[in-house]
Amino acid sequence: MALSPRSPVPPGERLGLGPVPSHRDLFFGLLQVAMSAFGGGLSAWSQRIVVEERRWMSNESFLTALTVARLFPGPNQINMAVFIGTSFHGLSGALVALAGMLLLPFSLLMLLGLVYFQVHQIPAVDRILAGVVAAAAGMALSMGFKILHTYWRDPVALALAAATFVAMVVLQVRLVPLVLVAGPLAMAWYWPRTPRQGEGP
Amino acid sequence: MIPAAALLGCSAPAPADNWLQLAEVIRIFLSLSLFSLGGGNTLLAEYHRLSVEEYCWLSPTQFADLYALAEAAPGPSSMIVGLLGMGAAWREGPLWALVSAYGAELAILFPSTLLMVVACLSWNRLRDSPWRVAFERGLGPITLGILFVVGLKIVRTSNHGLSAYLVSGVVCVLMLRTRLSPLWFMAVAGALGGMGVIQR
Repeated sequence: MALSPRSPVPPGERLGLGPVPSHRDLFFGLLQVAMSAFGGGLSAWSQRIVVEERRWMSNESFLTALTVARLFPGPNQINMAVFIGTSFHGLSGALVALAGMLLLPFSLLMLLGLVYFQVHQIPAVDRILAGVVAAAAGMALSMGFKILHTYWRDPVALALAAATFVAMVVLQVRLVPLVLVAGPLAMAWYWPRTPRQGEGP
Repeated sequence: MIPAAALLGCSAPAPADNWLQLAEVIRIFLSLSLFSLGGGNTLLAEYHRLSVEEYCWLSPTQFADLYALAEAAPGPSSMIVGLLGMGAAWREGPLWALVSAYGAELAILFPSTLLMVVACLSWNRLRDSPWRVAFERGLGPITLGILFVVGLKIVRTSNHGLSAYLVSGVVCVLMLRTRLSPLWFMAVAGALGGMGVIQR
């Protein structure tokens, strides 16, 4: 079958769903997601607005979108918006959805950035930042631990992760060559043995 | 303000012209886009290397500050790239800094967005492809390793005193054990910093 721009949301599945969103709807819908998520929980807000409130796609399609967004390179939430936009209007839909998702929070952060570069040398500001930065570093540290349990029962995966760590920290291998060399090797190891195999290792 | 380059001895010379500088920023982030595995956080150590060590857009302290700023702000991850772009052009004034910021963010998002569009349109065929399965399973452990590298890098850039390391450790545990919003941790740590408890 040829590529269909509607592939993730087949027409039959639109029973019980709202009408196909226009470009305008996509922009404002994702703007609403971005604004609702100002306290956090972007993913939950996307689901609530896109699936429950606006009924653009079924929950199943939404979960597919989430899977694809996590699989491919790029920020998950941005990829998610791109997937939703693409499902309805191809590339132009993707760009509109991306703009809706990003424009407001990004512009706000840039405003903050401008203020930061003006004031960061003031001693009182620097003292407060020293604390905030220590907390943010703790958040960065937790990222690896957060997904560690997924690989806990797979010794090869743990060895791969450890080798990656040693290569980058001790041997100072840079990210791009590392991924280009280790990526294909790891893919060869995890290549599905039988074509229909779907379960995890 | 003294340019960071004069203090740190950068490996890459600063471009002579504002437009060349902008082109360089865009080129750098375009070329990294497709390597943003695991939601993009895997690139943080590389961002640090480029913006602090190679091009000297920022001091280590500024990098740590901008990372915290991007984490505290609402919205999708990867927005730190805009701040890095801003830092790269800050010497040329706020207007160029803003142009550079938007340019950098568009550059980091453009290739991955195009790939995502293709992935969406061909997902029905990709879903059961062995390439998809191998990519997902193979790149997962590499992503895990890189995330630990990133964590270590950020912690070492951000902290210099015992109290700071302690705060990072406590926040790390709280992130894993509780569902509290990280904004609380940053607010409390910021207050501690303001009182002079946390030095760097």
